[in-house]
Amino acid sequence: MKNKIIALIFVIGTLFAVSSCELDVAPTDAISTASLLNTSDGLLNVTNGSYALLKDNISFGGFVDQNNNYLRQYFQMSDFASDDIVCAQVTEDPLFYSFTLTHSPDQANSRFFWYISYKIISSTNTVLELTTNTTNDDAATKQLVGENYFLRAFSHFNLLRFYAKPYSIDPNAPGIILRESTSESASKARSSVKDCYNFVISDLKKAASLMGTSRGPQYASKAAAWALLSRVYLYMEDNTSTVAYADSVIGSGNYQLATADAFKSYFPNAATSPETIFLVAFTTSDNKGKFGSIASMIYSDGNSGWGEEFASQSLRNLMAEHTEDVRWNYIDTLSDGNGGVVTKNGIETFYIKKFSGQGGDPNLSSPVMLRLAEMYLNRAEANAKAGNDKAALDDVDLIRTNRGLENALYSGELPAGSTALDVVLKERRLELAFEGHRALDVYRNKRIMNRSYWGYHLPGLVATDIDLTKTPSGYDKMLIDYTNPRIIYYIPVDEILANPLCKQND
Amino acid sequence: MKTGIRKVRMLGILLGLLCLVSSTFAQTAVKGRVTDESNNQSLPGVTVTIKGTTLGTVTDADGNYSVNVRSANDLLVFSFIGYGIKEIKVGTQSRIDISLVSESQNIEGIVVMGYSSKKRTEISSAVSVLSSDKLKGTTTGNVANMLQGKVAGVQVVSANGSPGSEAEIRIRGIASLSAPKGPLVVVDGIVGGNYDPNDIETLTVLKDAGATGMYGSQANGGVIIITTKKGKTDKPQFEFKSSVGYRIADQGHLKMMSGSQLYDAQKELYRDYNSGKIDILKFYNERPLELDSRNFNWVDEMFKPGLVQNYYLSARSRTDKFSYYLGATYFNEDGTFKNTGYQKANVRANTTYKFSDRVSIDNNINISVNKGTSYDYMDMYYSYLSLPWDNPYDANGKPLYIDGTSTTWWSRDKINPVHTVANSDHNYKGMDINYDFIFNLKITDWLSFSSSNRASLNSARTHDFVSPLAAGTYHGKGYINETNNMGYGGITTNLLKFNYTVNNHSFSGLAGYEGQGSYYETLMAEGKGLPEGFSVPNVASSEYKIGGLNNRSNMESFISQFNYNYRETYFLTGSYRIDATSAFPPANRIAHFPSVAASWLASNEQFLKGSKVDMLKFRLSYGITGMQDIGAYQYLGLFSLNTQYNSAAAATPLQLPSPNLTWEKTHQLNFGIDLSLFKRVSLNIDLYNNVTKDLLILVAQPLSVGFENKWDNVGEVTNKGLEITLSTINIKTTDFEWSTDFTYGMNNNKLSGIGSPIYRTVNGIAQIYRDNGELYMFVLPVWKGVDPQTGAPLWEKLEKDANGNITNRSLTSDYAQATPQEVHSALPKFQGGIASNLKYKNFSLNMNFAYTVGNYVYNFSQRMMDNDGHEPYYNLIQWQEGSSRWTQPGDNATHPSIQNSALSTENSSRYLQDGSFFKIRNITLRYELPLNVAKSLGLQGLAISATGENIYTFTNYWGQDPEVTINPTSWQMPGVSDFRYPGNRQYVITVEVKF
Repeated sequence: MKNKIIALIFVIGTLFAVSSCELDVAPTDAISTASLLNTSDGLLNVTNGSYALLKDNISFGGFVDQNNNYLRQYFQMSDFASDDIVCAQVTEDPLFYSFTLTHSPDQANSRFFWYISYKIISSTNTVLELTTNTTNDDAATKQLVGENYFLRAFSHFNLLRFYAKPYSIDPNAPGIILRESTSESASKARSSVKDCYNFVISDLKKAASLMGTSRGPQYASKAAAWALLSRVYLYMEDNTSTVAYADSVIGSGNYQLATADAFKSYFPNAATSPETIFLVAFTTSDNKGKFGSIASMIYSDGNSGWGEEFASQSLRNLMAEHTEDVRWNYIDTLSDGNGGVVTKNGIETFYIKKFSGQGGDPNLSSPVMLRLAEMYLNRAEANAKAGNDKAALDDVDLIRTNRGLENALYSGELPAGSTALDVVLKERRLELAFEGHRALDVYRNKRIMNRSYWGYHLPGLVATDIDLTKTPSGYDKMLIDYTNPRIIYYIPVDEILANPLCKQND
Repeated sequence: MKTGIRKVRMLGILLGLLCLVSSTFAQTAVKGRVTDESNNQSLPGVTVTIKGTTLGTVTDADGNYSVNVRSANDLLVFSFIGYGIKEIKVGTQSRIDISLVSESQNIEGIVVMGYSSKKRTEISSAVSVLSSDKLKGTTTGNVANMLQGKVAGVQVVSANGSPGSEAEIRIRGIASLSAPKGPLVVVDGIVGGNYDPNDIETLTVLKDAGATGMYGSQANGGVIIITTKKGKTDKPQFEFKSSVGYRIADQGHLKMMSGSQLYDAQKELYRDYNSGKIDILKFYNERPLELDSRNFNWVDEMFKPGLVQNYYLSARSRTDKFSYYLGATYFNEDGTFKNTGYQKANVRANTTYKFSDRVSIDNNINISVNKGTSYDYMDMYYSYLSLPWDNPYDANGKPLYIDGTSTTWWSRDKINPVHTVANSDHNYKGMDINYDFIFNLKITDWLSFSSSNRASLNSARTHDFVSPLAAGTYHGKGYINETNNMGYGGITTNLLKFNYTVNNHSFSGLAGYEGQGSYYETLMAEGKGLPEGFSVPNVASSEYKIGGLNNRSNMESFISQFNYNYRETYFLTGSYRIDATSAFPPANRIAHFPSVAASWLASNEQFLKGSKVDMLKFRLSYGITGMQDIGAYQYLGLFSLNTQYNSAAAATPLQLPSPNLTWEKTHQLNFGIDLSLFKRVSLNIDLYNNVTKDLLILVAQPLSVGFENKWDNVGEVTNKGLEITLSTINIKTTDFEWSTDFTYGMNNNKLSGIGSPIYRTVNGIAQIYRDNGELYMFVLPVWKGVDPQTGAPLWEKLEKDANGNITNRSLTSDYAQATPQEVHSALPKFQGGIASNLKYKNFSLNMNFAYTVGNYVYNFSQRMMDNDGHEPYYNLIQWQEGSSRWTQPGDNATHPSIQNSALSTENSSRYLQDGSFFKIRNITLRYELPLNVAKSLGLQGLAISATGENIYTFTNYWGQDPEVTINPTSWQMPGVSDFRYPGNRQYVITVEVKF
């Protein structure tokens, strides 16, 4: 008996000797920041991560909201504030505030956009700091470092458009918070719009000089940096530089406009088109479905989306001059079968299809961020402003030739009562509709946004007020001047609370 | 419990041995009967010994005994597991009938404290004990619901009524901010573990550091000690219990509008702001008159009464060498929400084998399996918000398929939740196995060794399926997601214990090592493109996703405790624990947790002996407990690798590093008085002051650094409180007894050392942590009603000078101008319960009430249901009396003009409501068959009872039950009520048979 007890004690002693615990444990699906670049594919993975953040729905406020991803908010906050898209339903979703301009500092879409933008910036800063001392200067490494500079500029620049006054209106107005490194103080004031633009330009120039081995349109490239520089200078109204960088892209010979025929299927297949300079790749596993796809608010096959926002009457009227325009291909009329159009709460249903159709899926597309047509239009706008009307109209004609309007060219003649800038901006609206440009194009050119058409952006509208044979009148907010403080959004409340140096917008 | 009982019995035997055996004496027989004091039923199997000898006997099936004594000075010792020991001097008596008091009622009883057991009189800490008697009234499947209103200072929140859900338990307020956990559960002396409520013998709540200090870093939320049943009697005892009843959803004040109510309400949408007139022609054009009579009650359709069943069968017995308890429970509850439910089966086998007087082993096994069907949040959301003008069924009673092309469907999102529920499945299964091996060795009379070990294994599987037939995003494709989780772990606790008494001085204590580790693995597979009628991953044809990761955590500890008492009147206890954990950076891994407690049992002093004071005790304790439970790796800066870009690996920023992260520690001071008088009144009062330092907080970062927050040790929270328990037997006659219990717990908290205020925001609702502030304090724009002139919503706008002093208060109708201000906290000022127990002959009527006062609840779902016309295709909640809509200048209305209500439903104090309540928690009427009648039927006992639970809640809160979560998970703010599974009102008949 005694021996047995001793044996038992021995066994128990062994048990807890074995269990003596290891207190160093590491996560199995994450890598420590310090060792990020210690693996051969580390730099590649973290660079890819910044692109992933443009499409991923990541945790915010403690959970992953299916409708919160960078691009969805980017397009909605841009184009729902324009006159290209009409709202057919009153909603609690904060996307509604872009229509009504009743912004608030705690609207979830804007808070997320701000957050995810700076997360990309933080990631690029981490990479740029870790690679400062690297001795690796092979082309592949330089390409990836250049991509990080590009992404840092891209993120800052898109923040500027939503949260700071356009450069052309006031370059000395508060811009955004420039995040240049991960070690700077968490509290930081906003830099001026001008300083922000200079920072973005500096990053893009570095990016262009470093990048040389393009990884495909799904990634930033030298041409993408030039293309974005062209846009940045356009917004700054630096016509010479706008033209120069547009020329660099056009002259590189690597891109060509989609023909009228090809354009009909351009957006579902943008990754393989020579027109695309940079897009964000969505694979089938990135399909956000009804709750999160960009398409779901503006298109539905009956189940695929909510389908609550449509192409506006204003845009359609402009397009109505030319039914042969292949750009009609991206507007899908929901017919009631009797020659009429189905209405939703009194608004006619003209679905928008620029974000649908990849692989045949109604919710899938790889959104185009930079394409060649914009380069022609940037150049045309700069030329128009510089007084080079002929050059401007020629670029416009080149676009129209490739959009089924070869019989409706300007051929160097301005229509009566129009300026070259009018012509260019009209073409820009038609060509780049729903791609995030319109609202800013109006305001940065100090023009008035005219939303005198039926839609739930009109305060207090009820369905029975709608008479499609008339133009609405007497409603607030139909004409929005560039001086309206609500052409930009409030800085999100989280930033204001946690960063006392950050000043709120008016 | 077991160890405790044995220890006391051994002590008795030891004491007996010390006594000298008196000289020879003619032996005489003493006879008698032993009964249970509470019900006068005979107790079989009671050990009767002559003190100081090994002579003795055991009572028979009727509780009778006969023993030969040698002298009038002999002491008879009556002992029985679960009951207090009694000693009677024989004297001249030849018949001694005696009743034993079950420990749960016994003031001298043994209290299981986790690593050790103590006599109640020995304890110097704030400890509450609930026996199975006090717990058995409730028929819910988990122990938390049983505790509500029964223990002072314990807050129980049933925030969710979904089948299988557990209530939240908080002891003495919230000590940890970002990761406040409920109490640590200790089952049969080993940290963690699983059990079925039917298997519980006693439940002990340890509330102050004098008791919880022994659990060190795991004990910030208090400790609940569960002791499961053991074999008690030589004769096998069998028990069968069956509870069957039904439950209905308790929607509280949440009543949605009927078809005609909504029809009337929607006329407001057609009011012209300027003229004030309703354009009735347009209204009839847009809302045909026939809608007025369409009245489908969605809530009644989606929520139906559900059946609840709980069956329990147990057997137990013991011999000199061996004792066992076998218990099996089957629990089945239907959810009140369509197609939800939960089933659980639990088997427990507890055995003890004594190799000798010195060596014994316990083998305890608990196996639990469960399965259930959960629900999709959106289905519940639409159950409330779908319009009564829509009927989900076609003429044949089949659920209608509705999608975006449907033109006859009025509700906003063109979806029929009845159809979705019928074409989807969200089920889960789980299994949990615990095996305990406990080895006890008595080395000498005063020294013993125990090794307690547990291995645990659990697995869970969830299955989410949407048929391709369902409308919505998966239409034509279907969706399947299967997730498997597996966890396993072990814990070993090895203690040397001593117990030594010399003269009036008693010493006891323990010291040892504890190691624990756990490992967790998860695996997920997802796909779409399912053929109709199939629902396994194998048949998915597109959009595959996989996921999975492993986690582990480890901890090692040194444990010690020392107890001293003098004359069982003056008590001193000290404990010291050292924990080392994997949760913190290497430099901060080790922490020390001392505690000390002292008490004076005044009623043992000569001057109180023989007085009406049965017990009077003063207690004082001080100690430190800690918290480390924030998950592994939180101190590391990390990039996540769980995404991809363009089908290539991608790393994204996950968390900021926090290289100095360390333990959160609570310094607890407690003073208490226990008093019982006249054998009728018992009063416990405790005062405490708990200061938690180095709070582990997710400190909000400016979003512009790219992270929302990071873990840091910031500031302190002080919880001060008062707890009172008063139990009285008000009336006691032979046939009738009425007793009442009152519990009251008051807790105040204050933050300090935070520095610049920290805001936490979830869903746009903010709470603030600031110096001198309260926990869970909502910061919201203050709603100031409706402008009588314009009908626009009003909020308060503050202007402040450079020092932050308010220089001007004004009202604004521009939401963006409104100033967020501190309003109210989500935590109650005080809470407690009342229990009334009436007993007449074999009938008893027990009533339990619970109350909570001073907590505020943010009614988030009301934003949707009471929306000022912003969502014309959602149904509305019926208004509280006195509500009105502004229609013309001069109206003093509660609701703004629909035509002038911009942002009126944005977050503001408009939706923050007083969540105080008084709840009829439980009423049980019970009849117990007289023992002789039961025996004539061949039974040891038969009882039948009817129970109503959660019968009614008195509250001004205008929504579902005001019990909402106080647990700040990352996705939920404490005190915020969204659409959630409603609580249950439950009526159950229980039959208990003992044989």
